[in-house]
Amino acid sequence: MALRQDLHSLAGPYALDALDSGAEQDRFERHLNRCQNCISEVRGFRKTAARLSMAAARQPPPEMRDRVMAAVARTRQVPAGDDAARHARPAARLRPLPRLAMVGGALAVLAAVVLAIALVNTQHQLNQANHQLSQAQAQLHAITAVQTATDAKVINKRTSVGGIVSVTSSASKRQMVLRTAGLPPLAAGKVYQLWLIGHLPNKIRSEGLLAPAHNGRTGPVLISGVLAGDTFGVTIEPAGGTIQPTVTPIVGIPLPS
Amino acid sequence: MRVSEGESARPEGGEQYLNDLLTRVARGDQAAFEAVYDTLAGPVYGLINRVVRDPAQSEEVSQEVLLEVWRTAARFDPAKGTAATWVMTIAHRRAVDRVRSATAAAAREVRSAEVPANNSDEVADTVAASLDAERVRRCLDGLTEPQRESITLAYYGGYSYRQVGERLGVALSTIKTRIRDGLIRMRDCLGVSW
Repeated sequence: MALRQDLHSLAGPYALDALDSGAEQDRFERHLNRCQNCISEVRGFRKTAARLSMAAARQPPPEMRDRVMAAVARTRQVPAGDDAARHARPAARLRPLPRLAMVGGALAVLAAVVLAIALVNTQHQLNQANHQLSQAQAQLHAITAVQTATDAKVINKRTSVGGIVSVTSSASKRQMVLRTAGLPPLAAGKVYQLWLIGHLPNKIRSEGLLAPAHNGRTGPVLISGVLAGDTFGVTIEPAGGTIQPTVTPIVGIPLPS
Repeated sequence: MRVSEGESARPEGGEQYLNDLLTRVARGDQAAFEAVYDTLAGPVYGLINRVVRDPAQSEEVSQEVLLEVWRTAARFDPAKGTAATWVMTIAHRRAVDRVRSATAAAAREVRSAEVPANNSDEVADTVAASLDAERVRRCLDGLTEPQRESITLAYYGGYSYRQVGERLGVALSTIKTRIRDGLIRMRDCLGVSW
């Protein structure tokens, strides 16, 4: 009975395509064959999920319509009841987009290293005292909330000294999440300092110093209290940082409001 | 033939209409397919973009999904669900297929920092401004924070419930329950018939 209860609770993850392995999926689908309640529950969940996707709708690139219609005109349809092709890939491959070719294996290896470091960092946080744990989790939750916000916008920009600054911001949450990649290492006694710059020159707020990079990357860093019209900026300052920027920012990103 | 904004904003009202269209698509009706495209390409592209993140890949996967809708429309069974649900289920599964493998997921993390600035981010989400999106948002707000977070990570983030558990540092049994309870609450809040 306990096992059955356990299986039944997979209806939610199943409907969201969130089961892990094919084996787990097969196990649940076998259960579905015997459980009429589960079938209707999964149907209701799928329909609910479809509504979630309506809320995520955005205008596709206009040229996509022509490409799809052209592909349709030369693609034969599968007749009803043809089970053999149920899991088949679309017959006509669409013209691959050139940039994909460049995201190659090297990037994947680098990414694996970055992820491993991210996991170690997370583990380290988890090993700390309880209140720190809940703080770290609150931080992670807040970062997730910004990144999954319905009005989340991502802006990536190259800095004047090289490397990329990526900002995900949510106007409704008045928060942003910062990541950087490839910022050059600084000489001893220098730090990267983060700023929110408002409309007036005296409305500049320091958002602290950028932690040292791991494998050329930093973040995610959560920055709260973003005001309409703010620009996010980074400067190179003496160790310890300054109250106001003393040099021209290496990057400035106007935040969507 | 274009579907008016009013109809796409009221999916309950447009349900039968879309079902009929897809049934016509199954018989090879290209004009009906164009109408299906005009109604669902936005949600398809938006959802895939949310999961896959990379605009170029999102477009590629969206095209594959829409072509699959054309190709396999005969498999749509109105007795088992609505046309919109059928299409969005395919779209979500394809998006998840694209990101689920370990290397793809890792590459996605990197891309979130490396993709050059993308102008389409600046384009306002026209459909998202619709009344239905507003209602979905209200219902999402009605979930407990842990439920909302688990569902958005799984559905919009494309993470498996195990990955969601790892990210949040929460036991798997808890995540399963949160997702199911949250979906039940969403379903009831949205008044989804089932």
